[in-house]
Order: sequence, then C-alpha cells, then structure tokens
Amino acid sequence: MKKVQFKSSYSQYFFLAPQLLILLIFLYWPIIQTFRDAFTIQDAFGFGSYFAGFDNFKFIFTDPSYYTAFKFTIIYSFVITLITGSIGLLLAVQANNVLHGKNVYKTLLIWPYAIAPAVVGVMANYFFSERFGLLYHLFNNLWGFNWYEDVFDAYIYVVIAGSWKQISANFIFFLAGLQAIQKTVIEASIIDCKSNIRRFWTITFPLLMPTTFFLIIINITYAFFDTFGIIDTTTIGAPGSETKTLVYKAYIDGFKGLDLGSAGAQSIMMMLIVLVITIFQFRYIEGKIHYN
Amino acid sequence: MKKLISILAILVSFTFTSNSYSKTEIHWWYGNSGFLGDVIIEIANRFNDSQDEYMVIPTGKGSYEDNMAATIAAFRAGDQPHYSQVYDAGAAIMVAQVKNGVVIGFEEMAKKYGIDVDADNYIPGIKNFYADADGKMVGVPFNSSTCLMYANMDILAEVGIEEVPRTYEEFEAIAQKIADAGYIPLLQSHSPWIWTENFFSRHNLLMTDGNNGYDAVPTKTLFAETDEFVMHWSKVKEWYEKGWYGYKGRAWGDNQAPFTNGEAAFWFGSAASFGGMKGVLPNFTTNPILYWDSVTGGKEYPTFIGGAANWILNGHTEEEYKGLAKFIEFMGSPEMDLYYHNMTGYAAVTKGGIELAETINFYRTSPYHKAVGDQLGLEGSTIPGGYRAGNWPQIREVIYENVEPMLNGDISVEKALSNMDKGAEKLLAQFAKTL
Repeated sequence: MKKVQFKSSYSQYFFLAPQLLILLIFLYWPIIQTFRDAFTIQDAFGFGSYFAGFDNFKFIFTDPSYYTAFKFTIIYSFVITLITGSIGLLLAVQANNVLHGKNVYKTLLIWPYAIAPAVVGVMANYFFSERFGLLYHLFNNLWGFNWYEDVFDAYIYVVIAGSWKQISANFIFFLAGLQAIQKTVIEASIIDCKSNIRRFWTITFPLLMPTTFFLIIINITYAFFDTFGIIDTTTIGAPGSETKTLVYKAYIDGFKGLDLGSAGAQSIMMMLIVLVITIFQFRYIEGKIHYN
Repeated sequence: MKKLISILAILVSFTFTSNSYSKTEIHWWYGNSGFLGDVIIEIANRFNDSQDEYMVIPTGKGSYEDNMAATIAAFRAGDQPHYSQVYDAGAAIMVAQVKNGVVIGFEEMAKKYGIDVDADNYIPGIKNFYADADGKMVGVPFNSSTCLMYANMDILAEVGIEEVPRTYEEFEAIAQKIADAGYIPLLQSHSPWIWTENFFSRHNLLMTDGNNGYDAVPTKTLFAETDEFVMHWSKVKEWYEKGWYGYKGRAWGDNQAPFTNGEAAFWFGSAASFGGMKGVLPNFTTNPILYWDSVTGGKEYPTFIGGAANWILNGHTEEEYKGLAKFIEFMGSPEMDLYYHNMTGYAAVTKGGIELAETINFYRTSPYHKAVGDQLGLEGSTIPGGYRAGNWPQIREVIYENVEPMLNGDISVEKALSNMDKGAEKLLAQFAKTL
C-alpha cells in the first residue's frame, strides 16, 4: 500500500488547529485556572490574592462536611450504578424478547433519557413534597418517611430521583449489546441448556461484559457529576450536608460562598478521585473482560 | 474585496449612528424574581419615561446569590454593570471592595463626579447598615426588610386566643391549645437569618467578636458561649418535639406554604412576604417578631435590616455616573420610596418617604406595612445595627447544616452550636487572609 502524504510539513497543524484551539480554550485553560485558584487565596473579586501553597487543601480536609460529601458521593454512585444497571439490564432483556410492539417499548423506555437532570429533580419534587407528594405519603404511611430530617429517607429521595433517568441510558446500551450477540451462539446454547436463567448467566451475561463495564464507568461519572441538577432541585444537600455530592459542595463553596480557592482545591481532589477509580477499573476489572 | 469593504463601512456607520442617537445606558442588575422583579422593571420604566437623556436597563440574574456571583464574574471579565443589588450577607464583602476600587461609595461618588447626592436623605438605621467603618454610606439602601411574625387571626379566634403574643413566653402559653386544634403553632423560613442573626439583634446581644465586626475584623462567632442563644435553641428543639414548631426543610417556600394555606397559626418571614398571601389567606396580620421576656427584661430591641442595597461599581464614564446619580435621586424621592414600600412591603428608606406616608395617613389603609417600620425604628440597642463578617454566605450554610442534625437528635444543641462556631471561625480566618 502506498502512503498518502501531504507535501508541506505544516499543513497537518493547520487542519489540527481548530480542534486544538477548542481544546485549549474549553479544556486546558479552565484546568490551568483551577490549579491556579486551588493554590491561591483571594477575595471574591480576585483581590488580595497570594500564593497559599496547600492552605486550601488543608482547609477542606479540616472541614467535616467535606468528609460527609465524600462519603455520600461514594455511597450515591455505588447505589445508582447498581440500581440503574440492574433495572436497565432487566428491562433490556425483557424488551429484547418481546415479539410484538418491540419498537413501542423501546421508544417509551428511551424517552426519559432526553430529560435534563434539573427537570427530573423538579418532577421528583412533586412526588416527594410533604404537601401533595404521592410517594411522600406512601412512604410516610409505611415508616414515617420524612426527608427533611432523616438522612436515610433523604438518601431514598435522591436515589430515586437520580436513578430514574439513568435507567434509560443503561437500557439503551444493554439492548444494543444484546442485539449484537450473534444469533448462532444463542441458538447453540439453547440446544445445550434448557434453563433460560442459567443460559443468561453463563452465555448472555458474559458476552455483555464489555457493555456492563462501559456502563459502570458511565454510571459512576453520572452520579459524580451529572446529578448536580437533581440535588439542587430536590434536597439542596439537606439534612445537614448529608446529601451533598462533591460537585455540589464545590459549587456551593465557589459560587454561593464565593470562595474560589476552596472550590478549586475541591475540583482537583475530584479529578484525583476519578483518576483513581478509572485506573482501578481498567487494571483490575478490564483484565477479566473478553472483547469478542 | 470591494464588497467586504462596503459591508464593513455600512456596519461601522451603523454603530456610530446608533451610538450618537441613543441615550446613555445604565445597567442595573438585580436578584429578585417574580413580582418583586416586576416592580424593579417598573421603577426603571418610570425613570426612563421621566427624562430623555438616560436609559436604565434592569437585568434580573436570579436569586441574590446568583446576582452577586454574576456581578463578580462580570467584574472579573471587565464587563460589570453600573449598579447591582447585593444582599445583607454580602455587605461585608462589598464594603471591603471600596479600597480595591471595585465599589464606589455613595458619598464618594458625590465628590468624585461632582454630583449632588445626599446621604442624609436616608434614615440613619438603614444608612448605617451599608456604611463603612467611618460611618460613610457605601451601599445605597433599597429593598430593606426585616423578619416579622405573621399571624392567622382566624385560627387564633377559633382556639379562643384574643391577643397576638409578643414574647416567646406568651407563645409557649398558648402553643398547646393551637396544636390541640390540629394546627401547626409556629413555622419560620430562614434559620440563619431569623433565628440566628436576628436572635442576637432582637435581644441586644453581640453575635461576633470585634463588636460584630464594626471595631475589628471578627475572628469568631459567639454562638455556643451565649447562654441565651443556647437556651433559645434548646427551647426550639423542645417545641419541635412537642409539635409546637414545624420544620419543613431549608426552602423558604416550603415553610411558608402551610401558613399561606391556613394550616399554621404563626409564621416568621420577611416584611415583603405578604404579597403572595393577600387574597389567599383571608385574615392575617403582620406583627413584630417575638422576643424572650426573660432575656431582655421586657425591653424590645430592633432587628437587623435584611434585604439588599444597590452598589455602584467602578469602571464607567462620568456621563454614565451622572445618569446613575439622577436615577438614585429619582429612586430616593418620597413618591418612589412610598410607591416601592406600598407595592412590596419593604420598609420606606428615606426620611421623605416616611413623612409622606404620615401625611397621607398611609398606614390606616395599609395595616400590613406598619410593623416593619415599628420594629426597625425601636431604640436603645447598644450593639451595632448590623454585622460585618466576611464569608457570611458560607457561614449561613454552616448554620443550616447544623440545625437539622440538632432537630432530629443526632447531635445535642450545645454540640450543634459549637460546630457552627468552629465552622464560622475557619471561614472568618479564611476571609481575614484576603484583607
């Protein structure tokens, strides 16, 4: 094969330039700015600013509500990943087996994915309002549910609000994964094994591992970052600071509290956390997955 | 190429002509929404109709916090408005910015631009809240409220209570009666503002060291070491457990809703809250906020001014500041002051406005408006009329975070208050570093 090459050695830069410019402005510049903020102390308007070393990090590590936010974020992303993954898988398997009206099911199950998290939060508000919330009153009758003061009840509230929309995302990807499995494999397995459930766990599910792995990462990222709008429109972090995610805390401290140093330090901590989780997943989980 | 040049020429001439023919624009950003935002737009419209030279363009940026963040971001980008509404909790931050040239003090503006503006036009209590250490007025008083007690007179009549209580002791004496009749005796909408900051002002107690920050940069809050404050929250917790006080989360509206719907006897809110109740709740009154007789020995003290002021931001032309001064004068006229007072329920802030209200016997026809002026006009306080503590928006967050675990019994009252002190101490130290 003959290589195609441009004569000028500069033209590749020319074609790369727009993309690089976008990356530079929208990605690297903010990152550099975040690092600058994290290591400076300044007032709200940017005056009185000086290099502070690790003072901002010390500040957040001596803040009890930072640990609460950390704990909640870990619990929240774990629970959301588990719930949305399993329900999404269940729905995908069922929808995949439907013979009539398959597309109707599919479309209806995908719809919630198009709704913005803040809107989901506002809708959840209606369900969990003390005044007219259906779920509030159902749960209240069952065990005295009150998310204003009970931490566990507040967890239930934000988990339901946060999972609902993400189930759709899981559904789509699992369905696509199921449809990508070759028919011959499934047919061969039917001859060998009569039990539907056993066939699923020994043949279908292992073949879905790449999708599952991908969704775990997507769901964790979602719980970490995209649930911001949901928290802001439901519990606003209450009771105490028990339902504040790390992102929400950084926002409150940076934009409401006007402390950019602390918000910058928190952003860097978040970067590190995501880095650790991703490395862990790629090293220890991906090794066990077989792509085709 | 020719085509390009001619297009450019047209564009250039267009911008020039549009500039030379248009009025001087003055941008005013605000953090009120809904009805209160509409009134702000109406004020700007009235000013724009009253003269031809200047045009005030009001822009709503969301909540107080949103507007403050937007103003700061705009300043950092060199694109700040001329005039911006910043709330009480941000006052310390704004006053501190005079030395950095971000904010032009109201009295300084007169000197700098040779404009005739008069600080004495405003009533002293409100003027001092937005003044610097030397007593010079920096922020221009605008929507000045305070916390008031709203009472549902129908509920009181139903359970046979003739007089609206004035003290917490009187409230305690009747609370069980109200609860027995199936109503919530008491609700309030803002734990940091009403039951922290204004607990201290109402009882003439200092909230931070450094004389509430007026004499020295404060280093700590005095929550846990003020026995009266510990007593108050212990009582609140007791009421909560007895069902005398209902907590509906952090959202202002969620705590107000049961009162507006006639399910609660008393609610503590802002002087400007009655707009939404008129026509919904048939029979309610506005009253001074309760106080502990046992703490003050029967004396009543004024609360702090809440709400917001407008702040003049640096970096514009002399012509524009002249227009802004005209606008400030317009807003400070007795008629406009009374108009705003009447529409919103915020206090009248000018001497002229108060005189006008008396002349036309305004309070006879509008009983809801009276309590705010009465409460703010009380005398005899030995503490300053406000507090100058930086990072206060975050300190409010710390207060919120500790109220809920205190009410649900996770931590004791003493522990919650000392947690607040610890959090506040850190935040105050952080702010002090930037001065």
